[in-house]
Amino acid sequence: MLQALLLLLLAALLAPALTRLLPRHAGACLALLPLGIFLWLLSHMGSIADGQVLEQRVSWIAALQIAVHLRLDGLSLLFGLLISGIGSLIVLYAAGYLEQHRQLGRFYAYLLLFMLAMLGLVLADDLILLFVFWELTSVASFLLIGFQHDKPEARRAALQALLITGGGGLALLAGLLLLGGVAQTWQISSLDAAQVQGHALFPAIMLLVLLGCFSKSAQLPFHLWLPNAMNAPTPVSAFLHSATMVKAGVFLLARLNPSLGGSLGWSSLLIAFGAATALLGALLAIRQTDLKRLLAYTTVAVLGQLTMLIGSNTPYGLQAFVLYLVAHSLYKAALFMAVGAIDHATGTREYPRLGGLWRFMPLTGCAVALAAFSNAGLPPFFGFIAKEFKYSGLLELGLVGGLITTVMILTNALLFAAAGLVFVKSFLGPPGAYPRQPHEVSLPLWLGPLLLALGGFLLGAWNSWPETWLVNTAVQNIASGPVDVSLYLWGGFTPALLASLLTISLGLAFYLRRDLLLKLLGRLQWFWQFSGDLLWDRLLKRVFAVAALTASAFQHGSLRQHLALLALCISLLLGIGITWLGWPLAPFDLHQASLPALLAASLSLLGALGAAWLPGRLSLVAALGLSGLGLTLLFFLMQAPDVAMTMLMVESLGVVLLALIYRRMPRVAPQGRGLAWPRALLAGLFGLSIGLALLVSSAAPLPGDLAQWYLANSYGQGHGANVVNVILVDFRAFDTLGEIVVVALAMLAAASLLGRTPAKLGTGDPVFASSLLLEGLKPLVWLLLGASLLLLWRGHNLPGGGFIGGLTAAAGCVLLVLMHGPASAERLLRLRPRTLMGIGLAVALLAASLGLLGGGAFFQAHWLWLGELPLGTPLLFDLGVYLCVFGASLHLFQRLTAEEHAA
Amino acid sequence: MIWLTALTVAGLAALGLWMLLDRNLKRVVLGIAVLGNAINLAVFAAGRLGAEQAAFTPAGQVPLAAANPLPQALVLTAIVIGFALFAFALALLKRSRDLHGDRETDHVSAVTEEPAPDLRQGPDREGQA
Repeated sequence: MLQALLLLLLAALLAPALTRLLPRHAGACLALLPLGIFLWLLSHMGSIADGQVLEQRVSWIAALQIAVHLRLDGLSLLFGLLISGIGSLIVLYAAGYLEQHRQLGRFYAYLLLFMLAMLGLVLADDLILLFVFWELTSVASFLLIGFQHDKPEARRAALQALLITGGGGLALLAGLLLLGGVAQTWQISSLDAAQVQGHALFPAIMLLVLLGCFSKSAQLPFHLWLPNAMNAPTPVSAFLHSATMVKAGVFLLARLNPSLGGSLGWSSLLIAFGAATALLGALLAIRQTDLKRLLAYTTVAVLGQLTMLIGSNTPYGLQAFVLYLVAHSLYKAALFMAVGAIDHATGTREYPRLGGLWRFMPLTGCAVALAAFSNAGLPPFFGFIAKEFKYSGLLELGLVGGLITTVMILTNALLFAAAGLVFVKSFLGPPGAYPRQPHEVSLPLWLGPLLLALGGFLLGAWNSWPETWLVNTAVQNIASGPVDVSLYLWGGFTPALLASLLTISLGLAFYLRRDLLLKLLGRLQWFWQFSGDLLWDRLLKRVFAVAALTASAFQHGSLRQHLALLALCISLLLGIGITWLGWPLAPFDLHQASLPALLAASLSLLGALGAAWLPGRLSLVAALGLSGLGLTLLFFLMQAPDVAMTMLMVESLGVVLLALIYRRMPRVAPQGRGLAWPRALLAGLFGLSIGLALLVSSAAPLPGDLAQWYLANSYGQGHGANVVNVILVDFRAFDTLGEIVVVALAMLAAASLLGRTPAKLGTGDPVFASSLLLEGLKPLVWLLLGASLLLLWRGHNLPGGGFIGGLTAAAGCVLLVLMHGPASAERLLRLRPRTLMGIGLAVALLAASLGLLGGGAFFQAHWLWLGELPLGTPLLFDLGVYLCVFGASLHLFQRLTAEEHAA
Repeated sequence: MIWLTALTVAGLAALGLWMLLDRNLKRVVLGIAVLGNAINLAVFAAGRLGAEQAAFTPAGQVPLAAANPLPQALVLTAIVIGFALFAFALALLKRSRDLHGDRETDHVSAVTEEPAPDLRQGPDREGQA
């Protein structure tokens, strides 16, 4: 089974190429695959009829007990045969119908993809797997309806179908998840009806599942997408929107009937919605003049009846469901294909312009005749047996059944009249006013309809065959208990027969007096107003209006409002959290603070205040630098030498960068007084909430002993005394790798924002010229580079490391670049800074990958002892960090100065 | 020490946000740096203060009252990334000034963003551009 699905996927992927290679025969070749699947399924019919099932299981998400679990039983066999059998004829038909189309290959691909989804859906025995295939049918249907995407109505129909079935799919997902949770299993065949129905959540499950099924099977009020889907090319309408996809909803109802069915709520909902849909579909059908739309609405009517039959849950009802399903699939696919052929031959699908086609298209006519008789429910066709059983099943329900039977007689009489329009009006009688002279269509176009219509006839005439092999087992799979099945054409004078006779005579009357009927129906203006598509447009317009309103409320393009909202939310959330915890502040210790700490903190605050207030550019740069310096001192005082050194280097480079950019800009004009107070209030609130959050979180000792673990294991396992550095390059090296990648990317992006590097970096004038500096600089640069290497080397045991070393080296080279022009650093290093950065990343990755040697993990450290000196991959990684940070920072500065030279 | 740190964090965060809410982009970029510093200090302090020794274990000897090394490692990389972000913001500032001249923050998006194609016929809401 899985192989069949995979083959379909492969075929879908190869179809475009195959169609390009063999434009004439690709359809026939591709049709062989569904045909093969059909034959394979046929070969299993015997064993399945004996009550066996075929199962296949591949583990998928083991942790959640979700598996690719396929199961072939009577119901899935029946659907599988319909899908693959009709599918192969459709592929063949499409080859003829879309012969000239440029994108036929793509069409085949979509069609096969849909077949895959549908087969997967009926075979799935896992709720999640089933949902995946369910959604895939929606997607494939969207692609197929919108196949002629240059037509706006096709796009609209595709979107409508996707929104409705996709929305239903969401409800279904919720329902299936609840169902799986309640039943404690994802396996459909082991759902326990008593357990599910006894649970408090059962009504919710039922409603959600029903929403999904109703939207897919076009039940009221979701029926409107189906007729619009007729914008798709005819093979799609014939396959998806009559024979298979719309049956997916009904299939799921049938599949879940043993576990969800039986309750009064389930039955009443299915019967009520089904009956209403059936009657509405039939009424709408008879009003159409386009044969394709007419057929589409009769499909809606049939889907309603199928839903209703599952709801009846009587032995006759369930048998009628299976029979009607098969009969309808056969005749409706045949009729759709034949209407496509008529369209092809005459250039119109409007029945008022048709008539007397029999003499031009006898083969198509034969197919239409056979299918229409089955559609009308005349004996001895399969449709007749289905109708008999339908009435018997409904009458079993007693008083309600009688009422529904009346509605059904009306519905079926209308369907009878519709069938008459398709065959009698189009093929018999005087010739119509065709747009072009009709001719018999080619073999692929009439073969499919004829075979299917003949199938409907043969299955009805020799009805013991389907009974034994197909219907029986399928019915057992739907019903909760065993059901005795025996099909017959003649069951004696039963109430069902009476109902049948009534249907046929009423149908005849409707057909003959259709003018009067249409006139009467035309009076119900208000009814068509709201049952039609208009509501949908109005709904969509509302949705778009709400979406635009929501979006414009938040995406207003004002940075300050965005930030203010964000800050307000953060403050409020922190405030709520602190209040909830009961304001446990850390003990007050401000009076114990040392003088240096007080000075450092004041320095950083004063600096920040200056950066917030001062207008001059240079004073701004100085103020920001001062603030950073104060913080650096604070870090030193709090026993964090590595952090402090990094901060120091970053602040120096940052100040230089800031000065380089700001010196070309005007003063920062002071703000108007306008909104100063709310802004100050918000800023104060924000600062307060963050400070309080810190005090609250420091009130209790640190939970866990992570710090102790790092301290205890750094030397023993990481061979380094500088615990911070060991964490960076060994314990949490993967983090560090991600971080240097971020640094590299940010610097690259910043540099490219500054403009392209000139192909040749001019030696040009230095940015700051001073002969003393020019001469005195070189030794200083060498000193800094040497120091940076020393910092890198000793970083494992003493303050230092790749980050600090890289920044120090960058600082040295930035000096050089500023004094001697952008090309100078490159001359010194004999490498482009960007290349240096790349080498750094490569070295870091190499160090990480070396861990894989000898079956180790990514980033696992390997050590080499040179006497007492341990050398290991973490040190190599630190070198990578050094080179990356060095190269990235230098790259930015070089680009900036190069651009200034060019300007 | 924690109260002093918390006061510093609160002050820096308030000033940082104040600058971020400025109309002038040049001040906003500085605000990014100041707010970043505030948060770095807060993360550092959340690992608990009061250490008397730095996190060094020469020859495997863990000193008493050693500093918590993990927040230090986190803050160290955060500082470097903050620098890269600051550089990027500065480059962005320079670029937007070169292309569009001095602009108030609220009007930057008006010149840089194209309206959605479907809305092009609609009234131009951001007509200041």
